Amino acid sequence: MRIIVILGRVLDPAGITINQRAGRIFVNREEYVIQPADRCALEVALRIKDATAAEVVVLPRGPLPDDDILRQALAIGADRAVYFTRERFKADEAVMVRLLEAAIDRLGGADLVLTGATTLDSGQGQLGPRMAAALDWPQILDAWQAEVVDGAVQAVRQDGTGYVTVEAALPAVVTVVPGAVKPRYPDGVRLVNIYKNVGEIAAALERWEVTDLVGVDMLVPLVERRGQDFPPPRERGVRLSGAPDEVAVAAAQALQKRMNG
Amino acid sequence: MSYLDLLMAQQEEVSEAEGGGGGVWVVADVVDGAVAPVTLEALGAARTLADALGAYVYGVLLGSGVSDQAQLLYQAGADGVRVVDDPALAQFATAPFLKVLSDLFAEEQPEVVLFGATEMGQALAPRLAQQMSGGLIEHAATLSLDEETRTVQGAVPIYGGEFFEVLACPQARPQFLTVEPGALGAPFLDRYRSGEPTALDVTLAEPDVRILGPAEGFEPPAVPLAQAPVIVAAGRQAGDFALVQRLAAALGGRVAGDRGARDAGWIEADQVIDVRGVTVSPDVYVAVGIRGDTFHNAAIEAAKFVLAIHPDPEAPIFALADLCIEGNPAEVVPALLEALG
Repeated sequence: MRIIVILGRVLDPAGITINQRAGRIFVNREEYVIQPADRCALEVALRIKDATAAEVVVLPRGPLPDDDILRQALAIGADRAVYFTRERFKADEAVMVRLLEAAIDRLGGADLVLTGATTLDSGQGQLGPRMAAALDWPQILDAWQAEVVDGAVQAVRQDGTGYVTVEAALPAVVTVVPGAVKPRYPDGVRLVNIYKNVGEIAAALERWEVTDLVGVDMLVPLVERRGQDFPPPRERGVRLSGAPDEVAVAAAQALQKRMNG
Repeated sequence: MSYLDLLMAQQEEVSEAEGGGGGVWVVADVVDGAVAPVTLEALGAARTLADALGAYVYGVLLGSGVSDQAQLLYQAGADGVRVVDDPALAQFATAPFLKVLSDLFAEEQPEVVLFGATEMGQALAPRLAQQMSGGLIEHAATLSLDEETRTVQGAVPIYGGEFFEVLACPQARPQFLTVEPGALGAPFLDRYRSGEPTALDVTLAEPDVRILGPAEGFEPPAVPLAQAPVIVAAGRQAGDFALVQRLAAALGGRVAGDRGARDAGWIEADQVIDVRGVTVSPDVYVAVGIRGDTFHNAAIEAAKFVLAIHPDPEAPIFALADLCIEGNPAEVVPALLEALG
């Protein structure tokens, strides 16, 4: 069985400051980490691998200027990783789906595609369902846990206040919510070897030319960035006055609005 | 909609036919048999977009026993409503809903399609966008229009709303967008608007994902205090700690405190909110009787909303709080518990 895990990178929010008054973002420390939800998806895949001896192949969710997160994924326990090489190629989800579909085809197909349900920065969750549409597979979104039982994938999803188990026949696409599982740490020896390019693990990182997979005319993103917008600064120190009963009602309304919005 | 508006919409229809656009469509979210507020918000926004584009607004209502909800869609701004009322659609499942919408949109070729950023919208919008080679912008908090290219621009919150990125799909049609619930504001409901919904004749697909039943014994992993979305923290002036615990339970939040609460023996060392202890970034932080020294205030700087209750009007916490209540927590907290129900 082959499991594809699609993962991306994100600028660690601990290293950036956003000055809303100046309308600017200051990057104090440029450090990228694997998207938290994607890292949970990798952990879910590795647990299935532990149980069923599946092969776990890692593919990127977007253009990467370096292969750092793929090396990390290999050190964590993935069997293979593919780095798409092309200078300055731009891609949104629609382009990546074409590329990933071609890559899965070249790998010889897959039984399960796992990825994060949402990205930490832009909150976009369309890659998983778009993959399901392109491959015409069933999809299970926002899973907390997933396992393979008798040729089907069983996943736990939130349903109102409780949790339900759902099942889809393989092949299928499953997206995992951030924080669903506690991801394992990279293995020390594997981490050293993958960065020193020694041992079997070095051969596990493959480099594929983008244009071998799809035509150049396919590499046109649909989504265009048209600038940034900063919310107005917060109005702090608003005092409520009156009898405790009255202020409590106003405060309760404010709290409920915040919690539901 | 006034007669003048109607006249304008009809006059614009001619250019609409030449342009080949198919209107602004809103797919309704139905919760417990009623149309969800996010759908009405989306319809209000669709009305504004359609008026500027010279297009019609259509609502799509899928569910079981939902036909009488159609008038609400007209009142919120729809010019036409398509309904599929079938017991098989009582609960949302991807495959049957997707089949109905992909058949409908293949025929109607919409120009813009809006969904709520809900379970249904997030499952269907990407699949339809992929099938129809359309662009998709998720979680739009505001919508604007680039009239020259007839492109809808959506502002998408980045890092949970620290700032917004304005995205657009100028080339792709249809343009799919999911809108963030509560962000666009409720529209005016015109009680004099009404219409005759069109029932669609469809063959429904079988769901491809089966629900096996409740997940027995599944417990979601514990969230560390630093990542908890709601925190109720006690300070020296909190008075009765049991009230703080009840407030946390009522808000579904975690109990914490400052060093004073730790000294009083109410909380453990790992629950102390302080730069020397835990630094937090909750959506809602309620400070009950916390005066707010520098170390505590620095640790809650990233909180998105702070409610402070303290008897001293000069307490430093009030400079940081969004909402301040000067008063004795022993009186305010019981009243707050009652108001929260």
